[in-house]
Amino acid sequence: MAEMDPFESMRTLASLWGEGGNAFLTSQQGMFRDMAEKMRAASEGGAAAQGAAADTAGFEAARRAFGELWSSATEVSASLSKAMQGSSPSDPLVAEMLGKIFDPKAWFSGTNDLDEALQKMAEGPRLSDLWNVERKFLAVFNAWVALRRRTLENNTVTLDAWTRAAGAFAKELNGRAEKAEKLDSWREMLALWVETANTTLLETQRSEAFLKTQRETLKASTDLRLAQRELAEYYSEMFGYPTRAELDDVHKTVTELRRELRALKRERRAEAPAAPAARPAARKRRSGKRQEATP
Amino acid sequence: MTHAPAAAAINPGEAMREISDLGKRLAEGAKLFGEIKDEDVAIATTPKDEVWREDKVTLYRYRPLAETKVNTPVLIVYGLIGRYTMADLQEDRSLVRNLLRLGVDLYVIDWGNPSRADRWLTIDDYVDDYLAGAVAAISRRHGIDRVSLLGICEGGVFTTCYAALHPDTVKNMVLTITPIDFHGDKEQERLGHGFINLWTRSLTPEDIDRLIEAHGTLPGEFMGSVFSMMTPMRTMMKYNLDMLEVMDDKKKFLNFLRMEKWIADRPHHPGEAAKQWLKDLYQDNKLVRSEFVLGGRKVELKNITAPVLNVFAKDDHIIPPATSQALRGKIGTGDYTELALPGGHVGVFVGGKSQGLLGSGIAQWLAERP
Repeated sequence: MAEMDPFESMRTLASLWGEGGNAFLTSQQGMFRDMAEKMRAASEGGAAAQGAAADTAGFEAARRAFGELWSSATEVSASLSKAMQGSSPSDPLVAEMLGKIFDPKAWFSGTNDLDEALQKMAEGPRLSDLWNVERKFLAVFNAWVALRRRTLENNTVTLDAWTRAAGAFAKELNGRAEKAEKLDSWREMLALWVETANTTLLETQRSEAFLKTQRETLKASTDLRLAQRELAEYYSEMFGYPTRAELDDVHKTVTELRRELRALKRERRAEAPAAPAARPAARKRRSGKRQEATP
Repeated sequence: MTHAPAAAAINPGEAMREISDLGKRLAEGAKLFGEIKDEDVAIATTPKDEVWREDKVTLYRYRPLAETKVNTPVLIVYGLIGRYTMADLQEDRSLVRNLLRLGVDLYVIDWGNPSRADRWLTIDDYVDDYLAGAVAAISRRHGIDRVSLLGICEGGVFTTCYAALHPDTVKNMVLTITPIDFHGDKEQERLGHGFINLWTRSLTPEDIDRLIEAHGTLPGEFMGSVFSMMTPMRTMMKYNLDMLEVMDDKKKFLNFLRMEKWIADRPHHPGEAAKQWLKDLYQDNKLVRSEFVLGGRKVELKNITAPVLNVFAKDDHIIPPATSQALRGKIGTGDYTELALPGGHVGVFVGGKSQGLLGSGIAQWLAERP
């Protein structure tokens, strides 16, 4: 630690912040290009693709709104990193950690990991498999596009909150600097960031805009899952495998039969003469059925 | 418009020292991480024995740690969100051990691991069949008519429903962090508190139906994500800053890991029961109005005649205190006691501040009602 440059980690933080933002935006643009190409390929498939193509307009609008806000956020990042030049400690691991703390992307992977969970639950077939049975596959694709769109809309609300939090944080630091008040430690600075960011995030989560976009994301995730199921059922029927609907039906029947069985057992027990008090029951049955044992 | 922060806001010397400390912690933590074995982070280790089973549901009896002082056995009823192991997280943070040491004869019901095959199970099944079956099994073992119940969170709701539908079999009822008025969060709007109530109300009943249709359950990871949203910055920080804080202290680090282990063990919630939980209770708030129907019967709170101890956490952001306290005045007994404890939803069970208070408070209240 003796060779440590006290300002290095904040520079690294600023660098990570800017690079992270650029990488995120670049990956978004790459994804949009990829999708546009796939949509063109889909459109060549016939009338069924028309609806899918039309659905991308909403997605494009959501992407544009998010992109504009992201540009604004990276401006904030650049401004902050410039101001931090020459006033920072060093250690690559710590710098990376601090970088993550201030990275706006963390607000999507951290607080917004609901989206991640939803997507994980919903995602099934890969895009490259989608173009064999056009109508069903396009329904899945439409639902996939809708989920991305809703996720972007929700991310836009979150990114707006991040920008406000960063602004409030910078304002607070400026206020202290004007009064010649130094923050004694990085811990104090982080505490200030956490408090500022937490308040903004919690306020945002209670906003109508956040709740609405969350709900739309949940709905889109559900729609995608159901569209995938319809496709899976098509193939299940084709190859003679049980479908999800059939399995659900079987499970329902089993649940009802077990319910009846439990009721019958209760009735039988109620009709039986009372067992002697405090005598531990000794009978045992197979696993999955009612069973009593003694320790 | 954002203002760029002033460059000289940090004291460089102090920052240097802190960074050096962090580096040392990381090094010590990495060494500690390499030494930890699975058994070091085992949870729910208090010895117990299986005494009854029905389908996936198992009833256990804990082995005594002291002479019995509370005669009526007590059944711990956890919910389907999370697992009962939270009540026995580790040896020095365990409601179970605290109660056993105070002479309580203790049972716990384990709902098992519901899968998509259990989609059609309802709260009716859990209350009228499984919980009723467990109570009957305990009663038979002891040759008694009534058992005391200790409900936790959703398990507290199950307990409340059971006590209203089967009052003749309940000796005493202890509720902990249990929602009764699911719209009670509106009474005292604290930032970050009651988000699940608000979030669930932002959905339509159809959204919930389709969610369950699509997944068959309320997936455990989904509920985990919703809980994470309630403490956004903490969720972001816990695997870097929070963990770093405790990395060089083996005891604290193991505590951290045990809690993470409990959080990761989140079973799926059976689908039809989840619909009732989210629509009938969170959205339509039927329980507090005595309009919730199980097994064709209304759950009338005034039918609860057993003495009630209602324990809530003053800083519970998941079940705000007002949602629990709504039980006051709605039950059919005058023997109603509230116990407000410091801490949050989980902290009240595992936090240092409430460790002694929760177990002793419950044991003493039970001892006064033998």
